[in-house]
Amino acid sequence: MTRILFSDKLDNCVAKWRSAGLTVIGPVQGESLSSYATVERGTDLHLGLVLPDRSLKELFFPQTEPMLRYTIKKNEIETADFTAPSAPRIIFGARPCDASGLAIDDPLFGWDYKDEYWFQRRKESVIVTIACTKADDFCMCTSLKLAPDSTKGADVLLRPLDKNRGWLVEELTERGREAFVIISEYLQEGSETALPTVEVPEKFNLDACVTWLQNPENFDSKFWKEISMRCIGCASCTYLCPTCHCFDIQDEGDTYSGIRRKNWDSCSFALFTMHTSGHNPRSTQSARWRQRIMHKFNYFPGKFSVNSCSGCGRCSRQCPVDMGITETLQEISKL
Amino acid sequence: MTETIHNAQPNIYKPAIMKIVGRHDEAPGVRTMRLEFQNPADHEQFKKTFRTGMFGLYGVYGEGESTFCVASPETRKEYIECTFRQSGRVTSALANADIGDLVTFRGPYGNRFPIEEFHGKNLLFISGGIALPPTRSVIWSCLDQREKFGKVTIVYGARTVADLVYKHELDEWQERADVDLVLTVDPGGESPDWKYRVGFVPTVLEEAAPSPDNCIAVICGPPIMIKFTLISLKKLGFDEKNVYTTLENRMKCGVGKCGRCNVGSVYVCKEGPVFTAEEVSRMPAADL
Repeated sequence: MTRILFSDKLDNCVAKWRSAGLTVIGPVQGESLSSYATVERGTDLHLGLVLPDRSLKELFFPQTEPMLRYTIKKNEIETADFTAPSAPRIIFGARPCDASGLAIDDPLFGWDYKDEYWFQRRKESVIVTIACTKADDFCMCTSLKLAPDSTKGADVLLRPLDKNRGWLVEELTERGREAFVIISEYLQEGSETALPTVEVPEKFNLDACVTWLQNPENFDSKFWKEISMRCIGCASCTYLCPTCHCFDIQDEGDTYSGIRRKNWDSCSFALFTMHTSGHNPRSTQSARWRQRIMHKFNYFPGKFSVNSCSGCGRCSRQCPVDMGITETLQEISKL
Repeated sequence: MTETIHNAQPNIYKPAIMKIVGRHDEAPGVRTMRLEFQNPADHEQFKKTFRTGMFGLYGVYGEGESTFCVASPETRKEYIECTFRQSGRVTSALANADIGDLVTFRGPYGNRFPIEEFHGKNLLFISGGIALPPTRSVIWSCLDQREKFGKVTIVYGARTVADLVYKHELDEWQERADVDLVLTVDPGGESPDWKYRVGFVPTVLEEAAPSPDNCIAVICGPPIMIKFTLISLKKLGFDEKNVYTTLENRMKCGVGKCGRCNVGSVYVCKEGPVFTAEEVSRMPAADL
């Protein structure tokens, strides 16, 4: 016997969670891009998407975020902290790759200095993932040794039943259990069989790629120039990536008052590393693309024992010039 | 090198408020400021953690923050001194600030020069132009406990006589019997009354030919100077393990998150900015 959440009860669940004080967030089709956003009714959720265009990252590490407000009076500086808004929330229908992305970035935001903007939101969020029963040509979680039903970063995993009838409920954490206690009246015991997860073919041999990347001789390989020749440095891949975490700090305001903000930044941009002197350690697009690949599959795992990629495929899917991590690692596999 | 583990704070990006208590113009566009902590708790934290070689983010609200070293030594923690060239938005705002004005400081961050390991050894400091400030922090940290070290040699050069920073301190070191100061300016940069050397730092260093025996070298300068100075030090017989330098990459967070300072797998803000030449040689040269 397993617990089942039937689709026709979803509206009730959303209402129940909301009345319990939880903000309910899930995949939503926006005007141009789909993303994870707040919903008021279960019917607002677009659970049929392969995955939203925008990743889950922005709910924990927003595109722009106020960090503090400053007011300057004569010989006095007053600052007020903006803390990440305290709002318990449930993210319903996250994709396993997006949930994995959060778990991947936890050690980065926590080593030595703890970034509370990230961790407060992590603490306040219950993540309910739905195992994938469909994928597109860009999905590549299996190449990253993850799976369409990976539980990494998730509090509850739902396995779809046929004909969109509902889901089998697998509670993974205490936090997940607590969130489902709230809606227990809408859950049923049953002995249904979930649909099989989608087959995601392996697109490259990760181990072989990592071995190649770890060889210092390949740092200067002409491969980097060739593979990144058509990169226009638009940063779409880094912005949509569920694990890319680079940011800039900028002041918005004037000499007397304003807000200090943390904004997404990208290793694709030339100014990202430019010194005051004009010297730029990563002065070419190929050096910047090399940095992105090396960081994800060589440097980051070296520090935190995990690849900085969860295989969502957004970098390739949304790239205006049809390149991305998949294409690059496939080429490396051939070397 | 061991890393210090810091306790979690509510807002790791919030800087300390500092009052400018002194200003000194060093060279055209280059200024030193002395800053005092306004909040005793911030000052206590600084006194507990600051060691020579660490850096900080200096800022002016409304303009932003810039990363540079702490130019004052670990033996003088009542204040922070920083020396900067006015070149961008933040440094211009800092340059426009007056004595009594308030600015911000976030840090100290990064690792340090392990000067206890230098006890009993001869010290060779090599520096070029605006890179004397980080070296100066180490120099005074050692000169303030002079008896613990052997011979002290300082090789310092700049493009022109006007570009030499800390001129008053250069005079002081020149007069000290326990410091051997070798001053130079690039060819063409000398003034009519210049009585010291003319030539590039690596050349002058080779002429001065300090002995590598029981000697630690600390070099700071623009990338091109470091590159050729390392070659000269090798010629003189210095072991890469005994040569220290400090990397100054662009940074925004200073605490290993914003992603821009890495050279290869090394996060300069956390594993550096101080490295031995041996450590630097293991980094991908194209990324430096």
